[in-house]
Amino acid sequence: MRDRLARVGARLGRRFPAASLAARNLSRQRLRAGLAALGIVIGVFAVVSLGMLGTALQTAATDELGGLGNQVIVSPAAETDAETLNGRDLRAVERAAAGRGTVVPLKSAGATASAGDGQTVAQVYGTTNPRALFGDAPGVPDYHRQGAIVGADVAGALDLRVGSTVTVESNDYRVVAVLPEQSSISPLRADSAVVLPPGEFAASGYSQVVVQADSGGDADAVASEVRDRLNARERRVSVFSLTSVLDRISEFFALLNGFLLAVAGVSLVVAGVSIFNVMLMTVSERRGEIGVLRAVGIHRDQVLRTLLVEATLLGVVGGALGAVLGAVAVVAVALNTDLPLAAVLVPTNALVALGSFAFGVTVALVGGLYPAYRAAWEPPVESLRG
Amino acid sequence: MTGDPLADAVDGADPTVYESGGGAVTALADVEFAVERGEVVAVVGPSGSGKSTMLNLLGLLDDPTEGRVELHGSPVAGRSARERTDVRRETIGFVFQDFHLIPTLSAVENVRLPTAFRPVDRTDRAVDLLERVGLGDRLDHTPDELSGGQKQRVAIARSLINEPDVLLADEPTGNLDRDTGVAVLEEVRDIAAGGVGVVAVTHDDLVREYADRTVELVDGVLDDA
Repeated sequence: MRDRLARVGARLGRRFPAASLAARNLSRQRLRAGLAALGIVIGVFAVVSLGMLGTALQTAATDELGGLGNQVIVSPAAETDAETLNGRDLRAVERAAAGRGTVVPLKSAGATASAGDGQTVAQVYGTTNPRALFGDAPGVPDYHRQGAIVGADVAGALDLRVGSTVTVESNDYRVVAVLPEQSSISPLRADSAVVLPPGEFAASGYSQVVVQADSGGDADAVASEVRDRLNARERRVSVFSLTSVLDRISEFFALLNGFLLAVAGVSLVVAGVSIFNVMLMTVSERRGEIGVLRAVGIHRDQVLRTLLVEATLLGVVGGALGAVLGAVAVVAVALNTDLPLAAVLVPTNALVALGSFAFGVTVALVGGLYPAYRAAWEPPVESLRG
Repeated sequence: MTGDPLADAVDGADPTVYESGGGAVTALADVEFAVERGEVVAVVGPSGSGKSTMLNLLGLLDDPTEGRVELHGSPVAGRSARERTDVRRETIGFVFQDFHLIPTLSAVENVRLPTAFRPVDRTDRAVDLLERVGLGDRLDHTPDELSGGQKQRVAIARSLINEPDVLLADEPTGNLDRDTGVAVLEEVRDIAAGGVGVVAVTHDDLVREYADRTVELVDGVLDDA
């Protein structure tokens, strides 16, 4: 077995002479090579851990803000006397949103809800499609025909559960679902909501039309198209979309990540300088040997390649170790804090790890470039004399 | 030797000038020298007489500022670094005073080194050569496990890996005791008998005994001793 390994090793060595020579040269000064690689380990560790943490924070924050960025809320403009949107407005919004998301016409009013002795102020919404806006908690129907869906605060205040009765504006409704407490921020106050079928409202128009767009880009497009269609001659509706706010938040996170990565990148550059230094020392110690290589007929570019492989190997080993350690550290942070692990394990973070590894290898390669070039291009007469 | 008489030649009709420190030093002047297949030439002379410069010129490691170096009758000047490297590998063998073996490589790997980046595996020839110089039982030893004489024999084997026409030796016995030196020189004579031209730069009188002829360099000027 050992023999076979040795034979395979020898064959590989003949197949890749530069790699084989480089690996052996590194083994000569293990401590020095180890320290140079350690620089890369630390640099890549810093980039990976800060980069992955930044991505995780951004992911977690975006999840927290949830569908908010994808919502467009159309309501009557304050300048108009109308308090509701009519059927024509609704159709205009539906055309604007066609293929880009779900349109949910919504009636809403403030009201007092009571049950037994208790009473509380609730936001009463009327819609046939509660799932699009309030999520699919157990019991929330596809099409809202009867009964009431109550938010977590209302349910808590009035001690309601599925099957209880809640009184709104002196009408009694059976509770068909209780919404869980909302974790994401939304302009709809779901926690204090009582969602009824729209037929329970006396007014015929809609107080707002909510478009749940498929993406932030769709939300932007829907918002501007609704403005074009309905506000062209006079300002009839106000269009509210948080996409731009979310964009601003994303920009902030991008800036923060960029800053963190720049700081981490500096440590990697320092590691590159140490590789540079180590390679300079190595080639000046091995001047004579390099002269011999050149004298016995090994080309400059072959010598260069061997030395570059040597520097790159330091980067590969250091980079791999740094990337693994960085990833482990970020996972450990996620497990011990409120940061959800799911926000760490996103595809972007795989890219961060791979990118940092590649950066580490590149830094090592660049660090080795000048020393290798200088050694390989020195006239062999000079190197042999040294 | 008839037919292809010049295995290698220096025709330094004019001085070779070296920049060294502050001033220019004329290392070789008006040197005419040729080596033929099968002959062993010893180049002697005091330190600083230009022996090493001459060897470097013959080995295509250096260029004369003036004059001409020919190999097989054709001038070497004007060839690219790449071509010179190829010529060195295929035609010229080097043996150095301090052996210059690569410490991380075994004896076989050191012998094979000039062909390391070539597509053909010359391990078998490397083993043959080491057996020929009497190191058949030291194939996998690294240089620090070998004595001085053994190292020089590995270096000689390395210089022969590509069946060179010329062997250039810089003080080949310089770091060896007399008996070991004799063994190495016997080897060199054998090599010359195989049709290789040998030029040995030396201080050692022993080398002169094994040479077909000896030339003396004094202050860059050649004398047939």
